[in-house]
Amino acid sequence: MIPYPAHIPSRPFQYRVLVYAVAACAFTTGIAALLLRVFDLSNVVMVFLLTVMLVALRWGRAAGALAAVVAVASFDFFFVPPVWSFHVSDTQYLFTFLLMLVVALITGQLAARLRAEAVGAAAGERRANALATVATDLSVAVQDEDIARICDTRIGPLLDGKVTLLLPGRDERMPSSGHGDTGIAQWVLEEGLPAGRGTETLPANSATYLPLTTPLRTRGVLMLERGAAQPLDAEQLGLLRAFQSLLALAIERVHFVEVAHETQLHVEGERLRNALLSAVSHDMRTPLTAIRGMAGMLGESEVAQAIVNQADRMQRQVTNLLDAVRLQSEGVRLDLQWHALDELVGSALAATPLGARQVVVDIPAELPLVELDATLFEHVLVNLFDNATKYTPGDATLYIRAGHTGSKLRLRVEDDGPGFPPGIDIQALFAEFARGTRESAVPGVGLGLSLSRRIVEAHGGSISASRREPHGACFDILLATGEPPAVDLEDPA
Amino acid sequence: MNKPRILVVEDETDIRRFLRLALEREDMTVFEAGDALQARIDAASRQPDLIVLDLGLPDDDGKAVIRDVRGWSSAPIIVLSARESEAEKVAALESGADDYLVKPFGVPELVARVRAQLRRASLAGARGQASAIVRFGDIEVNLATHEVARGSEAVHLTPIEFRLLATLVRGQGKVLTHRQLLIDVWGPGHASRSHYVRVYMANLRQKLEEQPARPRHLVTELQVGYRLAGIVESS
Repeated sequence: MIPYPAHIPSRPFQYRVLVYAVAACAFTTGIAALLLRVFDLSNVVMVFLLTVMLVALRWGRAAGALAAVVAVASFDFFFVPPVWSFHVSDTQYLFTFLLMLVVALITGQLAARLRAEAVGAAAGERRANALATVATDLSVAVQDEDIARICDTRIGPLLDGKVTLLLPGRDERMPSSGHGDTGIAQWVLEEGLPAGRGTETLPANSATYLPLTTPLRTRGVLMLERGAAQPLDAEQLGLLRAFQSLLALAIERVHFVEVAHETQLHVEGERLRNALLSAVSHDMRTPLTAIRGMAGMLGESEVAQAIVNQADRMQRQVTNLLDAVRLQSEGVRLDLQWHALDELVGSALAATPLGARQVVVDIPAELPLVELDATLFEHVLVNLFDNATKYTPGDATLYIRAGHTGSKLRLRVEDDGPGFPPGIDIQALFAEFARGTRESAVPGVGLGLSLSRRIVEAHGGSISASRREPHGACFDILLATGEPPAVDLEDPA
Repeated sequence: MNKPRILVVEDETDIRRFLRLALEREDMTVFEAGDALQARIDAASRQPDLIVLDLGLPDDDGKAVIRDVRGWSSAPIIVLSARESEAEKVAALESGADDYLVKPFGVPELVARVRAQLRRASLAGARGQASAIVRFGDIEVNLATHEVARGSEAVHLTPIEFRLLATLVRGQGKVLTHRQLLIDVWGPGHASRSHYVRVYMANLRQKLEEQPARPRHLVTELQVGYRLAGIVESS
């Protein structure tokens, strides 16, 4: 649908063709006068009929009709006795005139129609040729610049003006440095309606702005500047409409080519990154597995146990580093599923060597399921539990509590250890590579908490730390509960 | 009783060596294979009682080896996975593996898993049908009468809860994936609703575990499935 002035200006009637028709009849009369010296009068009639047909063929319907009348009149005046008079002595000739007029009119009109159709066909062919040329050029365009050039060099001349392609930037705004009136172009882009000269909107403007609309959306604006040229004729209007559709489709195609290309690059990048990550992961875990396993063979000795502990610690650092790399890379995809929080806590507790520390878990059974990436979230919990074991004495107690209020779910991990050293900024612990004390004897690079924060925030939640009274550390995780999927209840049997 | 015959398939020499040492110390006969080709040959010629298989083999996918071996052998298969991807473990279990260990793992863990799987296999082989009464911890399950007792007290389970428990019991300590549990308990139409299993497992834990958040028997294999641990052999 391209709303554009529907009135098609008809070609103005040209009165000079009537003069030509009369002149042709006069010329024929002269010829006929010469022929009459050799041929019979009835043969001369044919010359007039031929003239009428040729006039109609050349100059159209009206000229043909006039020629028919003039031819009959000339024949009567100059050749039918008494000559030089419209009088007719032999009534036979009246019948001749009538017949001649009818035949002249019919052949004239037929010839004129033939001509009109030929003209129409030629115009159609010209239009088809123009369209085909532009379509061919557009089909090989791979960039917006190619399309703009086709507008300028091909379409412009066909419409007797200057045609400029205006395209919005990525932010859907028309660039202000571009051609024409940015404001009008922006309006046309947003409304999908034409504006400017020859339209209902801002007709005083010197240029016409036409939307390039595809079934999905308006992709650009075509600016047509024709100066003082005549309004577009029917043929040019038809062409313009066809060009609008062609251009819109070409722009859309170029757009999708770009999108496909970018997607491919993104997928390639992600595949490479994943391949790299799993290779690094494999290469680091293989020696760790061997070290840990061999140490296990050494029996229950203290040295062997220390090696096992360090290997475990190293393993957690590797996990943290891999998580960090994965989260840092753009567009991390969380594997979100509905989980029971106590299950995750249990799984993380089982994965952390807590020694002789007591663990008190208070998670209400009616806590709703929560949507999260279990692998990553388990790493958060393991980091918190691991921290608790690193910074508390062996007889400390760990409290894990959960509850929900409104749309928030809170998980609190506390210990009754010595807590954070006095005077440090607790919230700064979540910054990258921050630790409670510099160069502490406790291993770790401070990656755990910053990573935990990033994982929790990727879930749309928050994590904070506070001091616990009378002593100890407290970590709070807040998550949105969301709308858990329904589970069909069964009848209790 | 004959020494159990274990086939270890692992491409890293050092890991293979420690697996061999650890298992031989437990009085087992160990055969080693370094790639999938050798693994297929040994699995057929050595007739192992159990296979420990690394998923990342140089010449073929470990899952393809599992499927091949499962075609003609019911020997338990324990998968070693260094991979982060839980989907990989699920795929291995659904190809026919019985349990998995994530690298790095400790010797006690390895030995415990191997022993559990050997016991499971010998039970299944000896009687064909497991006994109707199964015990774990202080829980007693009667598969025939659908009665469950905790200590001396009867525990009331809904039909679905019982079906879930019975499926885990029949698994005899094998890791059952969410998908396998959903198909067994709810039917094939529910295969993708893993939150169903989570909700009903939570119920079961509330009724059967002392500390539901630190389960001793109804063990979660995160992102993979569940396993019933600590089944006592009925006398």
